[in-house]
Amino acid sequence: MPGIRPLRSLVVTAVFASAFCAHGADSSSTPGKAMKMDEPMPIKMKKQGMRKGDVKKAADNKEREMKATMDKESAEGAKK
Amino acid sequence: MKIRGMASSLAEHSAPLIAKIERRLFLKQGLSLGAIALLSGCELTEDDAVQKVLTSMSRWNDGAQAWLFNPNKLAPEYPESAITKPFPFNAYYGEDEIRPVDGNSYNLELAGLIRDKKPWGLPELYAMPQTSQITRHICVEGWSAIGKWSGVRFSTFLERIGADTTAKYIGFKCGDDYYSSIDMATALHPQTLLTLRFADQILPPRYGFPMKLRIPTKLGFKNPKHVMAMYVTNTNPGGYWEDKGYNWFSGS
Repeated sequence: MPGIRPLRSLVVTAVFASAFCAHGADSSSTPGKAMKMDEPMPIKMKKQGMRKGDVKKAADNKEREMKATMDKESAEGAKK
Repeated sequence: MKIRGMASSLAEHSAPLIAKIERRLFLKQGLSLGAIALLSGCELTEDDAVQKVLTSMSRWNDGAQAWLFNPNKLAPEYPESAITKPFPFNAYYGEDEIRPVDGNSYNLELAGLIRDKKPWGLPELYAMPQTSQITRHICVEGWSAIGKWSGVRFSTFLERIGADTTAKYIGFKCGDDYYSSIDMATALHPQTLLTLRFADQILPPRYGFPMKLRIPTKLGFKNPKHVMAMYVTNTNPGGYWEDKGYNWFSGS
């Protein structure tokens, strides 16, 4: 069957191509994956019980804590 | 007479020995106290009163380090051959969780004691005079690595935006929610850089695209990545790790 051979090579190529694309689409090593906030931090600096989401909570608290000072100093800065 | 002589000779010779034993005893007792503290499951360090003492000691340490900091003393620089390859990635999240920042829409926000708070885009930052350094990044975890960093001298930038350089602190907010702050003397140090490039290439996301603050006179966690906003203030803004008990000044 002369037509079978090209068809087979086409199928093999398609299988390899899809496997290659699937590998490329694996986002496990590419940046941009959503951060799992409830996971423990992978950094050695962490203290017991620290989770990735703790940083955002602390940043939001700091923002609130500093807001009045920031507003006042920003107004002062503009005058200089 | 002879007995008296022997006694005084014995006392003379044993005095250093007694001092040695006393020192050993002191150390032993000190270690025992430390051991008890450890055996109590770190309860001692969790205690509020102990925390207050440790915090006040750390604040005192900040003051001493600031006093000792020489704004003209440069951190060592290295030849290209000394560069660490690959330069390690380190953050409180995995490398695959780096939040992408769009360089086209990036605008560095400015606030606080700054005259001109106009946000800065990347083309404007790239157009500023650039300088390079090959310096050692020293991590509080106990490792270090040498890398080549290029960007705008922070003191030049502060001058350009009309920052009040008599203010005490500069705070930084990052795209990954991290935040930190530094003293003005360090901000004005000639090696403190608004870093835009790593190894002569646009700063990759793993090292803080679009911009990171590189301070070779401070430990790594005082070098924030993905800097999105900065503010000049007279109120100590602390920092994520600093507020968790790490030393705020953290000179390297």
